Amino acid sequence: MNGDLASKWYVPFELEVLRKSALLVSVCSLPMLWVMYLRDAGLVLAFLGLLAGVASIYTLNRENRDLMMSSSALQLLIGALILYQSLEFGVAAVDIWYSTILLCSGGFGLFSLSSQRLSSWLNSTLSTDDAVLGLARNRNLSPRWSAFLSHFILLHFVFIVLVPIIWMIDVALSPGQSASSGMDISSWTLNHFASVLNKSDFWTWVGNSVAISIGTTLLGLMLAIPAGYAFSRHRFTGHGAMMFSLLLVQMFPGVIILVPYFMVMKSLGLLNTWLGLILAYSVTALPFCVWMLKGWFDTVPVDLEEAAALDGCGQFGIFWRIILPLSLPAIAVTALFSFLAAWNEFLLALMFNQSPDMYTLPVGLAFSITQAQKWGDFAAMSLLVSLPVVILFIIFQKSLIQGLSSGGVKG
Amino acid sequence: MVSVKFQGISKVYDDGTRAVEGLDLEVEEGEFLVLVGPSGCGKSTTLRMLAGLEDISEGKIMIGEAVVNDLPARARGLGMVFQSYALYPHMSVEDNLTFGLRMKPKSERPQADELKEMVQDTAKMLGIEDILSKRPRDLSGGQRQRVALGRALIRRPKVLLMDEPLSNLDAKLRNQMRLELRRLHNELGTTTIYVTHDQVEAMTLADRIAVMKDGVLQQHCPPLEAYHEPANPFVASFLGTPPMNLIEGQASEGVFTSGSLSFSLPDHLSDVEGEGVFGIRPENVQIPSDDGLEASLNGIERLGSETIFHLDIEGVVIKAIWHQSTKGSSEGNDALPEGNFGVSLNDSSAMWFAKK
Repeated sequence: MNGDLASKWYVPFELEVLRKSALLVSVCSLPMLWVMYLRDAGLVLAFLGLLAGVASIYTLNRENRDLMMSSSALQLLIGALILYQSLEFGVAAVDIWYSTILLCSGGFGLFSLSSQRLSSWLNSTLSTDDAVLGLARNRNLSPRWSAFLSHFILLHFVFIVLVPIIWMIDVALSPGQSASSGMDISSWTLNHFASVLNKSDFWTWVGNSVAISIGTTLLGLMLAIPAGYAFSRHRFTGHGAMMFSLLLVQMFPGVIILVPYFMVMKSLGLLNTWLGLILAYSVTALPFCVWMLKGWFDTVPVDLEEAAALDGCGQFGIFWRIILPLSLPAIAVTALFSFLAAWNEFLLALMFNQSPDMYTLPVGLAFSITQAQKWGDFAAMSLLVSLPVVILFIIFQKSLIQGLSSGGVKG
Repeated sequence: MVSVKFQGISKVYDDGTRAVEGLDLEVEEGEFLVLVGPSGCGKSTTLRMLAGLEDISEGKIMIGEAVVNDLPARARGLGMVFQSYALYPHMSVEDNLTFGLRMKPKSERPQADELKEMVQDTAKMLGIEDILSKRPRDLSGGQRQRVALGRALIRRPKVLLMDEPLSNLDAKLRNQMRLELRRLHNELGTTTIYVTHDQVEAMTLADRIAVMKDGVLQQHCPPLEAYHEPANPFVASFLGTPPMNLIEGQASEGVFTSGSLSFSLPDHLSDVEGEGVFGIRPENVQIPSDDGLEASLNGIERLGSETIFHLDIEGVVIKAIWHQSTKGSSEGNDALPEGNFGVSLNDSSAMWFAKK
């Protein structure tokens, strides 16, 4: 009975691995086709690679050993050919990457398909005892293999994210002002950073950005915390309408209100000031902050406030001593959000503050590259501008996760 | 120690719901009063009005000689234990205990060493000395319960309020805490008002109980009195497990009739007349008996020390307790009466509730 069940349910995990690797080969062949097309050479090889991958997927479903072996062998062959061909053009990273995938997939296919276990399973001659053992082996090995494969695939996404950053770092550190430089680590210098840091303009813009971002954060929090608390704890006329209108404001693209905004700021005399941008940014960040904080306050039990009321706190004491300390994670998230929104904003800053001594960093950055094509300086400055963002994220990472996932679990 | 008086207290919500209706209740100095009733009967609302967490719509609440209607919660000098414990998550146990003391105006605030001593005393009394530095989330349910109790007691409140404090504990811990609450009350003698829906807690803890239903006080007396002399069928059915058997019908000339069921009333009820409810506790139903009433067995619940019979007498279903352990299941089965057998409802403790 037990053995019958095992025979019925046992599928060697190698099959699952092969299926995934064949899929990987097929998908990776697509960008390779493009690369080969640009090179005007080896298009046939990439096409054959795609064919081998797709053939593997197809034959796997048929449980046909010979066809599977052939497509694995084809993968091996193409992998080798691509390596051989690349010797002609000079070995490039893509070639090594693609042929490694092909060689690994083909090699694993040939190796596992020729094993005793798989061939007898494919011929349906596997004994029930072996099936039982196989199930245990699956349970043991298949999680490791699927973890390996998924990490391998995820690494590609990491790579895609990292490329621009690595590029930027490379340009910033390489001598000269070219935007393309070949990762020559031996020649790296800090000259670009020095030249950016020595510019007095840069420090003026840093001052503007810091003042405006911190101002926005403080003003935003000062308004959003009491507002969120009131929305969470009290029911008043227009409660729902006001919450909804906060969302509504968020729905319009910022460009629409750009011109009216500009006119308002102009008539208030707030162009080329910190305050003008602080006001504009606070208004933009407020809806998110209020909703976020309301959501958090909703999860703080009212019992705690009542206990504090009996313990001798007034309304303000309850808020200050109980609610605020409990809400620090959510407050950190909203603070970070308003700070980053203000720090990164470009359009409003470009419109409102047009005199160079009132530029914020993003605006200054943009002008520094339009006036002279100094890519090296530009990259160095970009890195410096994004540095505070990275540092803030690292510091607040823990409370960010806590704050954003609030409401799920009661403390 | 102070007394508490509710005079004509009503609570009307904005939507017109009347949660409490004209409540008159007096809690004496040092008394342990249990407010008991089914959920939604207004018992918690009453407590919250006293605590100052809920506005009082009508009437007066007096703590001692002072009317406290318009005093804020913090000025009433009460300690409260919440069902959820409501411990401050961001503070250690010690800070939770002392929070109320530290919130006092400067002139009344205890000195640091005095504070330390009060914490030690309270912790010792409740057996929580070794968890003072922990956060509430690291405590077990029973420990949280003790801390919540300590937080209410440390300020030596004039009145201690408890809102279903034991309902989040498991059965064993609940029994243990129940005894401990009673011991603490005997030691401290603080006037205590305790809200629960659990009639066992009410019976075991209270000096007096106040049974409420639909916002109206049904009976206010010592628990045993409410058990033996319930004021109305509701109180009769609410106290005791299984509840009192209540049979609606008519009495005339010493005979009770309900549908096809008819039997002669016990002597002390022989002069009741008209429509009403006949009540008899399951433990007072006599089986087997040759009183002339014939019952068939609907079901049996064996609880070990006693056995509960579900009986059908002429279409009227009642419960009876047999205080005889049926030892050994096969032997016990033999000992149980089979088929129809005689039952007697003629007992000196039977009650009559005339229909109003």
